[in-house]
Amino acid sequence: MLEALARLGHLGLHALARLGRGHLLLLAILSGLPSLLARPRLLLAQIHNVGVLSVLIIVVSGLFVGMVLSLQGHYVLSQFGASESLGVMVAASLVRELGPVVTALLVAGRAGSALTAEIGLMKATEQLSGLEMMAVDPIKRILTPRFFGGLLSMPLLAAMFSAVGVIGGYFVGVGLLGVDDGAFWSQMQSKIDWREDIVNGVIKSLVFGWVVTWIALFEGHDAIPTSEGVSGATTRTVVHSALAVLCLDFVLTALMFGD
Amino acid sequence: MASGDRRLEEPGDDILVRIRGLAFAHGGRRIFDGVDLDIPRGKVTAVMGPSGTGKTTLLKLIGGQLRPQAGTIEVDGEDVHALSKGDLFRLRTRMGMLFQSGALLTDLTVFGNVAYPLREHTRLPESMIRKLVLIKLEAVGLRGARDLKPNELSGGMARRVALARAIALDPMMIMYDEPFTGQDPISMGVLVKLIRQLNDASRLTSIVVSHDVADTTSIADYLYVIAGGKVMARGTPAEIRASSSEWVTQFMEGLPDGPVHFHYPAPALATDLLGAG
Repeated sequence: MLEALARLGHLGLHALARLGRGHLLLLAILSGLPSLLARPRLLLAQIHNVGVLSVLIIVVSGLFVGMVLSLQGHYVLSQFGASESLGVMVAASLVRELGPVVTALLVAGRAGSALTAEIGLMKATEQLSGLEMMAVDPIKRILTPRFFGGLLSMPLLAAMFSAVGVIGGYFVGVGLLGVDDGAFWSQMQSKIDWREDIVNGVIKSLVFGWVVTWIALFEGHDAIPTSEGVSGATTRTVVHSALAVLCLDFVLTALMFGD
Repeated sequence: MASGDRRLEEPGDDILVRIRGLAFAHGGRRIFDGVDLDIPRGKVTAVMGPSGTGKTTLLKLIGGQLRPQAGTIEVDGEDVHALSKGDLFRLRTRMGMLFQSGALLTDLTVFGNVAYPLREHTRLPESMIRKLVLIKLEAVGLRGARDLKPNELSGGMARRVALARAIALDPMMIMYDEPFTGQDPISMGVLVKLIRQLNDASRLTSIVVSHDVADTTSIADYLYVIAGGKVMARGTPAEIRASSSEWVTQFMEGLPDGPVHFHYPAPALATDLLGAG
Protein backbone atom coordinates (compact mmCIF):
# COMPACT_ATOMS: atom_id res chain seq x y z
CA MET A 1 0.00 0.00 0.00
CA LEU A 2 2.74 2.39 1.05
CA GLU A 3 4.76 1.34 -1.95
CA ALA A 4 1.86 2.10 -4.28
CA LEU A 5 1.45 5.50 -2.67
CA ALA A 6 5.15 6.19 -3.05
CA ARG A 7 4.98 5.19 -6.70
CA LEU A 8 2.00 7.45 -7.23
CA GLY A 9 3.85 10.32 -5.56
CA HIS A 10 6.89 9.66 -7.71
CA LEU A 11 4.75 9.70 -10.87
CA GLY A 12 3.12 12.94 -9.75
CA LEU A 13 6.46 14.59 -9.08
CA HIS A 14 7.80 13.36 -12.42
CA ALA A 15 4.77 14.79 -14.24
CA LEU A 16 5.08 18.12 -12.41
CA ALA A 17 8.80 18.31 -13.18
CA ARG A 18 8.07 17.71 -16.87
CA LEU A 19 5.36 20.35 -16.82
CA GLY A 20 7.81 22.81 -15.26
CA ARG A 21 10.50 22.03 -17.82
CA GLY A 22 7.94 22.37 -20.58
CA HIS A 23 6.93 25.85 -19.45
CA LEU A 24 10.54 26.97 -19.04
CA LEU A 25 11.24 25.75 -22.57
CA LEU A 26 8.18 27.59 -23.86
CA LEU A 27 9.39 30.82 -22.24
CA ALA A 28 12.82 30.36 -23.81
CA ILE A 29 11.20 29.67 -27.20
CA LEU A 30 9.02 32.80 -26.96
CA SER A 31 12.00 34.93 -25.95
CA GLY A 32 13.52 34.07 -29.33
CA LEU A 33 10.75 35.91 -31.22
CA PRO A 34 12.65 39.22 -31.69
CA SER A 35 15.65 37.45 -33.23
CA LEU A 36 13.27 35.41 -35.43
CA LEU A 37 11.65 38.59 -36.73
CA ALA A 38 15.10 39.80 -37.73
CA ARG A 39 15.56 36.63 -39.82
CA PRO A 40 12.18 35.85 -41.39
CA ARG A 41 13.72 33.32 -43.79
CA LEU A 42 14.06 30.86 -40.90
CA LEU A 43 10.32 31.18 -40.25
CA LEU A 44 9.43 30.75 -43.93
CA ALA A 45 11.53 27.56 -44.08
CA GLN A 46 9.60 26.12 -41.14
CA ILE A 47 6.20 27.15 -42.54
CA HIS A 48 7.28 25.16 -45.57
CA ASN A 49 8.35 22.16 -43.44
CA VAL A 50 5.31 22.05 -41.19
CA GLY A 51 2.69 23.64 -43.44
CA VAL A 52 3.42 23.14 -47.11
CA LEU A 53 4.58 19.55 -46.67
CA SER A 54 1.32 18.73 -44.83
CA VAL A 55 -0.91 20.16 -47.58
CA LEU A 56 -1.41 16.90 -49.46
CA ILE A 57 -2.64 14.88 -46.48
CA ILE A 58 -4.83 17.79 -45.36
CA VAL A 59 -6.44 18.26 -48.79
CA VAL A 60 -7.12 14.56 -49.33
CA SER A 61 -8.51 14.11 -45.81
CA GLY A 62 -10.62 17.28 -46.12
CA LEU A 63 -12.12 16.07 -49.38
CA PHE A 64 -13.16 12.71 -47.97
CA VAL A 65 -14.43 14.13 -44.67
CA GLY A 66 -16.57 16.65 -46.61
CA MET A 67 -17.97 13.90 -48.84
CA VAL A 68 -18.82 11.66 -45.89
CA LEU A 69 -20.42 14.58 -44.03
CA SER A 70 -22.59 15.26 -47.04
CA LEU A 71 -23.69 11.63 -47.32
CA GLN A 72 -24.53 11.29 -43.64
CA GLY A 73 -26.06 14.77 -43.41
CA HIS A 74 -28.32 14.16 -46.37
CA TYR A 75 -29.60 10.92 -44.82
CA VAL A 76 -30.69 12.73 -41.65
CA LEU A 77 -31.86 16.01 -43.20
CA SER A 78 -33.92 14.34 -45.94
CA GLN A 79 -36.02 12.61 -43.27
CA PHE A 80 -37.16 16.05 -42.11
CA GLY A 81 -37.47 17.48 -45.62
CA ALA A 82 -34.54 19.80 -44.95
CA SER A 83 -32.08 18.64 -47.62
CA GLU A 84 -31.56 22.24 -48.73
CA SER A 85 -29.80 22.88 -45.42
CA LEU A 86 -27.09 20.38 -46.36
CA GLY A 87 -24.67 23.16 -47.36
CA VAL A 88 -24.90 24.97 -44.06
CA MET A 89 -24.62 21.71 -42.11
CA VAL A 90 -21.45 20.66 -43.95
CA ALA A 91 -19.85 24.10 -43.72
CA ALA A 92 -20.71 24.66 -40.05
CA SER A 93 -19.41 21.22 -39.05
CA LEU A 94 -16.18 21.80 -40.92
CA VAL A 95 -15.49 25.40 -39.93
CA ARG A 96 -16.46 25.04 -36.27
CA GLU A 97 -15.22 21.55 -35.45
CA LEU A 98 -13.83 19.14 -37.95
CA GLY A 99 -11.54 21.59 -39.75
CA PRO A 100 -9.56 22.69 -36.69
CA VAL A 101 -9.70 19.33 -34.85
CA VAL A 102 -8.94 16.89 -37.65
CA THR A 103 -6.25 19.22 -39.04
CA ALA A 104 -4.60 19.38 -35.62
CA LEU A 105 -4.70 15.58 -35.29
CA LEU A 106 -3.22 15.15 -38.77
CA VAL A 107 -0.53 17.78 -38.17
CA ALA A 108 0.35 16.10 -34.86
CA GLY A 109 0.77 12.78 -36.67
CA ARG A 110 2.69 14.08 -39.65
CA ALA A 111 4.58 17.22 -38.65
CA GLY A 112 4.56 16.90 -34.84
CA SER A 113 6.14 13.48 -34.84
CA ALA A 114 8.68 14.66 -37.44
CA LEU A 115 9.58 17.67 -35.29
CA THR A 116 10.09 15.50 -32.20
CA ALA A 117 12.23 13.00 -34.09
CA GLU A 118 14.28 15.78 -35.68
CA ILE A 119 14.98 17.62 -32.41
CA GLY A 120 15.55 14.35 -30.51
CA LEU A 121 18.05 13.15 -33.09
CA MET A 122 19.78 16.54 -33.14
CA LYS A 123 20.18 16.13 -29.39
CA ALA A 124 21.35 12.50 -29.68
CA THR A 125 23.94 13.39 -32.34
CA GLU A 126 25.19 16.36 -30.29
CA GLN A 127 24.10 18.89 -32.93
CA LEU A 128 22.36 21.01 -30.28
CA SER A 129 25.46 20.87 -28.06
CA GLY A 130 27.56 21.72 -31.09
CA LEU A 131 25.47 24.83 -31.75
CA GLU A 132 25.82 25.90 -28.12
CA MET A 133 29.58 25.56 -28.33
CA MET A 134 29.52 27.65 -31.52
CA ALA A 135 27.88 30.35 -29.38
CA VAL A 136 24.55 29.86 -31.16
CA ASP A 137 21.51 29.42 -28.91
CA PRO A 138 19.85 26.22 -30.18
CA ILE A 139 16.48 27.16 -28.70
CA LYS A 140 16.34 30.49 -30.52
CA ARG A 141 17.92 29.17 -33.70
CA ILE A 142 16.20 25.77 -34.01
CA LEU A 143 13.11 25.66 -31.77
CA THR A 144 11.66 29.17 -32.05
CA PRO A 145 11.28 29.12 -35.88
CA ARG A 146 9.68 25.67 -35.70
CA PHE A 147 7.25 26.79 -32.99
CA PHE A 148 6.02 29.83 -34.90
CA GLY A 149 6.07 27.89 -38.17
CA GLY A 150 3.69 25.33 -36.63
CA LEU A 151 1.56 27.99 -34.95
CA LEU A 152 1.00 29.95 -38.16
CA SER A 153 0.58 26.91 -40.39
CA MET A 154 -2.25 25.38 -38.37
CA PRO A 155 -5.05 27.92 -39.16
CA LEU A 156 -3.97 28.03 -42.81
CA LEU A 157 -4.14 24.24 -43.06
CA ALA A 158 -7.47 24.15 -41.21
CA ALA A 159 -8.89 26.73 -43.63
CA MET A 160 -7.69 24.60 -46.52
CA PHE A 161 -9.24 21.49 -44.94
CA SER A 162 -12.60 23.23 -44.50
CA ALA A 163 -12.60 24.73 -48.01
CA VAL A 164 -11.79 21.41 -49.67
CA GLY A 165 -14.30 19.66 -47.39
CA VAL A 166 -17.07 22.02 -48.54
CA ILE A 167 -16.18 21.27 -52.16
CA GLY A 168 -16.26 17.52 -51.42
CA GLY A 169 -19.64 17.97 -49.72
CA TYR A 170 -20.89 19.92 -52.73
CA PHE A 171 -19.90 17.19 -55.18
CA VAL A 172 -21.67 14.50 -53.20
CA GLY A 173 -24.69 16.58 -52.13
CA VAL A 174 -25.41 18.41 -55.35
CA GLY A 175 -23.72 16.11 -57.86
CA LEU A 176 -24.77 12.71 -56.53
CA LEU A 177 -27.73 13.22 -54.20
CA GLY A 178 -29.55 15.90 -56.17
CA VAL A 179 -29.66 18.70 -53.58
CA ASP A 180 -30.48 22.06 -55.15
CA ASP A 181 -27.33 23.90 -56.19
CA GLY A 182 -28.59 27.38 -55.29
CA ALA A 183 -29.98 26.30 -51.92
CA PHE A 184 -26.70 24.59 -51.01
CA TRP A 185 -24.67 27.78 -51.45
CA SER A 186 -27.22 30.45 -50.47
CA GLN A 187 -28.11 28.82 -47.13
CA MET A 188 -24.43 28.41 -46.39
CA GLN A 189 -23.81 32.07 -47.22
CA SER A 190 -26.66 33.33 -45.05
CA LYS A 191 -26.19 31.07 -42.03
CA ILE A 192 -22.43 30.86 -41.60
CA ASP A 193 -21.43 33.81 -39.44
CA TRP A 194 -18.03 35.46 -39.77
CA ARG A 195 -17.50 36.14 -36.06
CA GLU A 196 -19.38 33.20 -34.58
CA ASP A 197 -18.16 30.45 -36.90
CA ILE A 198 -15.07 31.44 -38.83
CA VAL A 199 -13.21 33.54 -36.24
CA ASN A 200 -13.94 30.95 -33.53
CA GLY A 201 -12.60 28.22 -35.83
CA VAL A 202 -9.42 30.20 -36.43
CA ILE A 203 -9.00 30.76 -32.67
CA LYS A 204 -9.33 27.00 -32.11
CA SER A 205 -6.72 26.33 -34.80
CA LEU A 206 -4.29 28.78 -33.25
CA VAL A 207 -4.72 27.18 -29.82
CA PHE A 208 -4.21 23.70 -31.30
CA GLY A 209 -1.21 24.90 -33.30
CA TRP A 210 0.33 26.33 -30.13
CA VAL A 211 -0.25 23.15 -28.10
CA VAL A 212 0.70 20.58 -30.74
CA THR A 213 3.93 22.35 -31.72
CA TRP A 214 4.85 23.00 -28.09
CA ILE A 215 4.34 19.32 -27.16
CA ALA A 216 6.32 18.17 -30.22
CA LEU A 217 9.26 20.48 -29.51
CA PHE A 218 9.30 19.77 -25.78
CA GLU A 219 9.23 16.00 -26.30
CA GLY A 220 12.13 16.24 -28.76
CA HIS A 221 14.16 18.55 -26.54
CA ASP A 222 13.45 16.50 -23.41
CA ALA A 223 14.02 13.11 -25.10
CA ILE A 224 16.60 10.74 -23.68
CA PRO A 225 19.29 10.89 -26.39
CA THR A 226 19.10 7.23 -27.45
CA SER A 227 17.11 5.46 -30.16
CA GLU A 228 14.57 4.18 -27.59
CA GLY A 229 14.37 7.64 -26.05
CA VAL A 230 13.60 9.34 -29.36
CA SER A 231 11.12 6.67 -30.40
CA GLY A 232 9.29 6.95 -27.06
CA ALA A 233 9.23 10.74 -27.34
CA THR A 234 7.77 10.56 -30.85
CA THR A 235 4.97 8.28 -29.66
CA ARG A 236 4.25 10.56 -26.70
CA THR A 237 4.01 13.54 -29.04
CA VAL A 238 1.23 11.94 -31.07
CA VAL A 239 -0.66 10.56 -28.05
CA HIS A 240 -0.40 13.68 -25.87
CA SER A 241 -1.16 16.02 -28.77
CA ALA A 242 -4.28 14.06 -29.73
CA LEU A 243 -5.53 14.01 -26.13
CA ALA A 244 -4.74 17.69 -25.61
CA VAL A 245 -6.50 18.68 -28.84
CA LEU A 246 -9.66 16.70 -28.03
CA CYS A 247 -9.84 17.96 -24.43
CA LEU A 248 -9.16 21.55 -25.42
CA ASP A 249 -11.73 21.30 -28.18
CA PHE A 250 -14.40 20.49 -25.61
CA VAL A 251 -13.34 23.39 -23.39
CA LEU A 252 -13.14 25.86 -26.27
CA THR A 253 -16.45 24.72 -27.74
CA ALA A 254 -18.14 25.12 -24.36
CA LEU A 255 -16.68 28.61 -24.00
CA MET A 256 -17.44 29.71 -27.55
CA PHE A 257 -20.78 28.13 -28.32
CA GLY A 258 -22.23 27.17 -24.93
CA ASP A 259 -25.17 29.32 -23.84
CA MET B 1 57.24 14.49 -11.93
CA ALA B 2 54.09 12.43 -11.97
CA SER B 3 52.69 12.99 -8.56
CA GLY B 4 49.81 14.90 -7.10
CA ASP B 5 52.01 17.18 -4.99
CA ARG B 6 53.57 18.97 -7.93
CA ARG B 7 52.95 22.71 -7.78
CA LEU B 8 50.36 23.43 -10.44
CA GLU B 9 51.53 26.74 -11.67
CA GLU B 10 55.17 27.53 -12.16
CA PRO B 11 56.71 30.99 -12.56
CA GLY B 12 56.57 32.07 -16.16
CA ASP B 13 53.73 29.71 -16.99
CA ASP B 14 51.05 31.31 -19.12
CA ILE B 15 47.88 29.56 -18.07
CA LEU B 16 44.83 29.76 -20.34
CA VAL B 17 42.47 27.50 -18.39
CA ARG B 18 42.70 27.41 -14.60
CA ILE B 19 40.52 24.94 -12.70
CA ARG B 20 40.44 25.01 -8.90
CA GLY B 21 38.58 22.78 -6.45
CA LEU B 22 36.23 21.45 -9.13
CA ALA B 23 33.43 19.27 -7.76
CA PHE B 24 30.70 17.87 -9.95
CA ALA B 25 28.17 15.11 -9.40
CA HIS B 26 25.55 13.81 -11.77
CA GLY B 27 22.69 11.43 -11.03
CA GLY B 28 24.03 10.82 -7.53
CA ARG B 29 27.49 9.87 -8.84
CA ARG B 30 30.44 12.05 -7.87
CA ILE B 31 32.44 12.64 -11.05
CA PHE B 32 34.93 15.27 -9.87
CA ASP B 33 35.95 15.80 -6.29
CA GLY B 34 38.28 18.74 -5.76
CA VAL B 35 40.13 18.69 -9.07
CA ASP B 36 42.84 21.31 -9.73
CA LEU B 37 44.10 21.57 -13.27
CA ASP B 38 45.99 24.09 -15.40
CA ILE B 39 46.05 24.22 -19.19
CA PRO B 40 49.08 26.17 -20.44
CA ARG B 41 48.64 28.53 -23.37
CA GLY B 42 49.99 27.46 -26.74
CA LYS B 43 50.49 23.81 -25.75
CA VAL B 44 48.74 20.54 -26.47
CA THR B 45 47.48 19.27 -23.12
CA ALA B 46 45.93 15.84 -22.90
CA VAL B 47 43.49 14.68 -20.26
CA MET B 48 43.45 10.91 -20.07
CA GLY B 49 41.63 8.37 -18.00
CA PRO B 50 39.50 5.25 -18.22
CA SER B 51 36.06 5.39 -19.84
CA GLY B 52 33.41 6.96 -17.64
CA THR B 53 35.78 9.11 -15.59
CA GLY B 54 34.18 12.32 -16.80
CA LYS B 55 36.63 13.48 -19.45
CA THR B 56 33.87 14.71 -21.76
CA THR B 57 32.11 16.22 -18.74
CA LEU B 58 35.29 18.18 -18.03
CA LEU B 59 35.16 19.73 -21.52
CA LYS B 60 31.48 20.59 -21.07
CA LEU B 61 32.32 22.23 -17.75
CA ILE B 62 35.10 24.28 -19.37
CA GLY B 63 32.72 25.29 -22.17
CA GLY B 64 30.06 26.34 -19.64
CA GLN B 65 27.53 23.75 -20.82
CA LEU B 66 27.49 22.23 -17.34
CA ARG B 67 27.69 24.00 -14.00
CA PRO B 68 29.90 22.59 -11.21
CA GLN B 69 28.64 22.18 -7.65
CA ALA B 70 31.84 23.74 -6.33
CA GLY B 71 35.07 25.23 -7.60
CA THR B 72 35.95 27.65 -10.35
CA ILE B 73 36.97 27.40 -13.98
CA GLU B 74 38.71 30.40 -15.50
CA VAL B 75 39.30 30.66 -19.24
CA ASP B 76 41.61 33.48 -20.27
CA GLY B 77 41.04 35.11 -16.88
CA GLU B 78 37.23 34.93 -17.02
CA ASP B 79 35.27 32.81 -14.55
CA VAL B 80 33.15 30.79 -16.98
CA HIS B 81 30.29 30.14 -14.57
CA ALA B 82 30.05 33.73 -13.32
CA LEU B 83 29.50 35.12 -16.84
CA SER B 84 26.13 36.26 -18.15
CA LYS B 85 24.69 34.25 -21.05
CA GLY B 86 25.77 36.93 -23.52
CA ASP B 87 29.32 37.04 -22.16
CA LEU B 88 29.52 33.24 -22.12
CA PHE B 89 28.47 33.12 -25.79
CA ARG B 90 31.07 35.82 -26.57
CA LEU B 91 33.73 33.70 -24.84
CA ARG B 92 32.58 30.60 -26.75
CA THR B 93 33.25 32.31 -30.07
CA ARG B 94 36.91 32.12 -28.99
CA MET B 95 36.68 28.42 -28.11
CA GLY B 96 36.32 25.59 -30.58
CA MET B 97 35.11 22.14 -29.70
CA LEU B 98 35.44 18.97 -31.68
CA PHE B 99 32.73 16.54 -30.61
CA GLN B 100 33.27 12.80 -30.70
CA SER B 101 30.48 12.42 -33.27
CA GLY B 102 31.52 15.51 -35.22
CA ALA B 103 28.12 17.08 -34.42
CA LEU B 104 27.80 18.37 -38.00
CA LEU B 105 24.45 19.85 -38.98
CA THR B 106 23.00 17.13 -41.16
CA ASP B 107 20.84 19.42 -43.31
CA LEU B 108 23.85 21.44 -44.49
CA THR B 109 26.68 20.52 -46.85
CA VAL B 110 30.30 20.41 -45.75
CA PHE B 111 30.67 23.98 -47.03
CA GLY B 112 27.53 25.10 -45.21
CA ASN B 113 28.75 23.57 -41.96
CA VAL B 114 32.10 25.33 -42.04
CA ALA B 115 30.48 28.59 -43.14
CA TYR B 116 27.87 28.36 -40.38
CA PRO B 117 29.78 30.08 -37.54
CA LEU B 118 31.03 32.75 -39.96
CA ARG B 119 27.50 33.49 -41.14
CA GLU B 120 26.18 33.52 -37.56
CA HIS B 121 28.84 35.69 -35.99
CA THR B 122 30.26 37.91 -38.70
CA ARG B 123 28.88 40.27 -41.30
CA LEU B 124 31.40 39.25 -43.92
CA PRO B 125 30.29 39.31 -47.57
CA GLU B 126 29.54 35.91 -49.08
CA SER B 127 32.62 36.12 -51.35
CA MET B 128 34.86 36.49 -48.30
CA ILE B 129 33.09 33.67 -46.45
CA ARG B 130 33.67 31.44 -49.47
CA LYS B 131 37.39 32.16 -49.44
CA LEU B 132 37.70 31.60 -45.68
CA VAL B 133 35.77 28.32 -45.83
CA LEU B 134 37.91 27.04 -48.68
CA ILE B 135 41.08 27.94 -46.76
CA LYS B 136 39.84 26.09 -43.66
CA LEU B 137 38.79 23.08 -45.73
CA GLU B 138 42.16 23.10 -47.47
CA ALA B 139 43.85 22.98 -44.05
CA VAL B 140 42.05 19.71 -43.27
CA GLY B 141 42.44 18.36 -46.81
CA LEU B 142 38.73 18.37 -47.69
CA ARG B 143 38.36 21.30 -50.10
CA GLY B 144 37.20 18.81 -52.72
CA ALA B 145 34.44 17.49 -50.44
CA ARG B 146 32.75 20.86 -50.01
CA ASP B 147 29.48 19.83 -51.68
CA LEU B 148 29.03 16.54 -49.84
CA LYS B 149 26.42 16.08 -47.12
CA PRO B 150 27.50 14.78 -43.68
CA ASN B 151 25.90 11.38 -44.36
CA GLU B 152 28.23 10.95 -47.35
CA LEU B 153 31.36 11.36 -45.20
CA SER B 154 33.38 8.68 -43.41
CA GLY B 155 33.86 9.06 -39.65
CA GLY B 156 37.36 10.45 -40.10
CA MET B 157 36.25 12.93 -42.76
CA ALA B 158 33.35 14.09 -40.58
CA ARG B 159 35.78 14.85 -37.77
CA ARG B 160 38.04 16.78 -40.11
CA VAL B 161 35.09 18.85 -41.33
CA ALA B 162 34.13 19.46 -37.70
CA LEU B 163 37.72 20.54 -37.09
CA ALA B 164 37.55 22.98 -40.00
CA ARG B 165 34.32 24.35 -38.52
CA ALA B 166 35.91 24.60 -35.06
CA ILE B 167 38.74 26.76 -36.43
CA ALA B 168 36.48 28.85 -38.69
CA LEU B 169 36.44 31.80 -36.28
CA ASP B 170 40.17 31.45 -35.45
CA PRO B 171 39.62 30.58 -31.78
CA MET B 172 42.24 30.80 -29.05
CA MET B 173 41.70 27.19 -28.00
CA ILE B 174 40.21 23.95 -29.25
CA MET B 175 38.87 21.12 -27.16
CA TYR B 176 38.98 17.67 -28.73
CA ASP B 177 36.60 15.07 -27.32
CA GLU B 178 38.00 11.57 -27.99
CA PRO B 179 39.27 12.51 -31.46
CA PHE B 180 40.85 9.10 -32.12
CA THR B 181 37.98 6.81 -31.14
CA GLY B 182 36.87 4.48 -33.92
CA GLN B 183 39.38 5.76 -36.49
CA ASP B 184 41.32 3.60 -38.92
CA PRO B 185 45.13 3.95 -38.77
CA ILE B 186 45.26 6.40 -41.71
CA SER B 187 42.52 8.68 -40.34
CA MET B 188 44.17 8.45 -36.94
CA GLY B 189 47.52 9.52 -38.39
CA VAL B 190 45.87 12.39 -40.25
CA LEU B 191 44.12 13.63 -37.10
CA VAL B 192 47.26 13.37 -34.96
CA LYS B 193 49.19 15.40 -37.54
CA LEU B 194 46.39 17.97 -37.91
CA ILE B 195 46.02 18.56 -34.18
CA ARG B 196 49.74 19.20 -33.79
CA GLN B 197 50.03 21.29 -36.95
CA LEU B 198 47.02 23.46 -36.20
CA ASN B 199 48.20 24.02 -32.66
CA ASP B 200 51.65 25.14 -33.72
CA ALA B 201 50.78 27.01 -36.93
CA SER B 202 47.80 28.93 -35.52
CA ARG B 203 49.24 29.38 -32.00
CA LEU B 204 46.26 27.62 -30.55
CA THR B 205 45.87 25.97 -27.20
CA SER B 206 44.63 22.41 -27.50
CA ILE B 207 42.96 20.21 -24.91
CA VAL B 208 42.72 16.60 -26.03
CA VAL B 209 40.55 14.25 -24.04
CA SER B 210 41.27 10.64 -24.83
CA HIS B 211 41.95 7.17 -23.48
CA ASP B 212 44.17 6.27 -26.41
CA VAL B 213 47.58 6.18 -24.72
CA ALA B 214 49.92 5.80 -27.71
CA ASP B 215 48.56 8.49 -29.98
CA THR B 216 47.77 10.95 -27.23
CA THR B 217 51.21 10.77 -25.67
CA SER B 218 52.74 11.21 -29.12
CA ILE B 219 51.28 14.72 -29.53
CA ALA B 220 50.76 15.97 -25.99
CA ASP B 221 53.17 18.43 -24.38
CA TYR B 222 51.57 17.85 -21.03
CA LEU B 223 49.35 15.11 -19.60
CA TYR B 224 46.80 14.77 -16.86
CA VAL B 225 45.54 11.34 -15.87
CA ILE B 226 42.22 11.43 -14.03
CA ALA B 227 40.24 8.66 -12.37
CA GLY B 228 37.79 8.35 -9.51
CA GLY B 229 37.12 12.08 -9.53
CA LYS B 230 40.77 12.97 -8.82
CA VAL B 231 43.89 13.84 -10.77
CA MET B 232 45.97 10.67 -10.45
CA ALA B 233 49.05 12.01 -12.24
CA ARG B 234 50.27 15.06 -14.10
CA GLY B 235 53.43 15.78 -16.05
CA THR B 236 55.06 15.42 -19.44
CA PRO B 237 54.50 12.10 -21.23
CA ALA B 238 58.01 10.98 -20.16
CA GLU B 239 57.33 11.87 -16.54
CA ILE B 240 54.03 10.00 -16.55
CA ARG B 241 55.62 6.92 -18.10
CA ALA B 242 58.28 6.97 -15.39
CA SER B 243 55.64 7.14 -12.66
CA SER B 244 56.01 4.70 -9.80
CA SER B 245 52.25 4.60 -9.20
CA GLU B 246 50.85 1.11 -9.84
CA TRP B 247 47.56 2.57 -11.06
CA VAL B 248 49.29 4.87 -13.58
CA THR B 249 51.48 2.01 -14.80
CA GLN B 250 48.42 -0.22 -15.28
CA PHE B 251 46.65 2.50 -17.27
CA MET B 252 49.63 3.50 -19.41
CA GLU B 253 50.64 -0.10 -20.15
CA GLY B 254 47.07 -1.30 -20.60
CA LEU B 255 47.47 -4.16 -18.11
CA PRO B 256 44.29 -6.24 -17.63
CA ASP B 257 44.64 -6.53 -13.86
CA GLY B 258 46.11 -4.34 -11.17
CA PRO B 259 44.68 -1.72 -8.83
CA VAL B 260 41.77 -1.61 -11.29
CA HIS B 261 40.43 -5.15 -11.13
CA PHE B 262 39.41 -7.21 -14.14
CA HIS B 263 36.28 -8.44 -12.32
CA TYR B 264 33.40 -6.20 -11.43
CA PRO B 265 32.79 -6.53 -7.65
CA ALA B 266 30.77 -9.71 -7.01
CA PRO B 267 30.44 -12.46 -4.39
CA ALA B 268 32.80 -15.45 -4.73
CA LEU B 269 32.13 -17.54 -7.84
CA ALA B 270 31.51 -20.73 -5.81
CA THR B 271 28.94 -18.98 -3.62
CA ASP B 272 27.19 -17.65 -6.71
CA LEU B 273 27.18 -21.01 -8.55
CA LEU B 274 26.04 -23.05 -5.57
CA GLY B 275 23.53 -20.47 -4.41
CA ALA B 276 19.81 -21.04 -4.77
CA GLY B 277 19.76 -18.07 -7.17
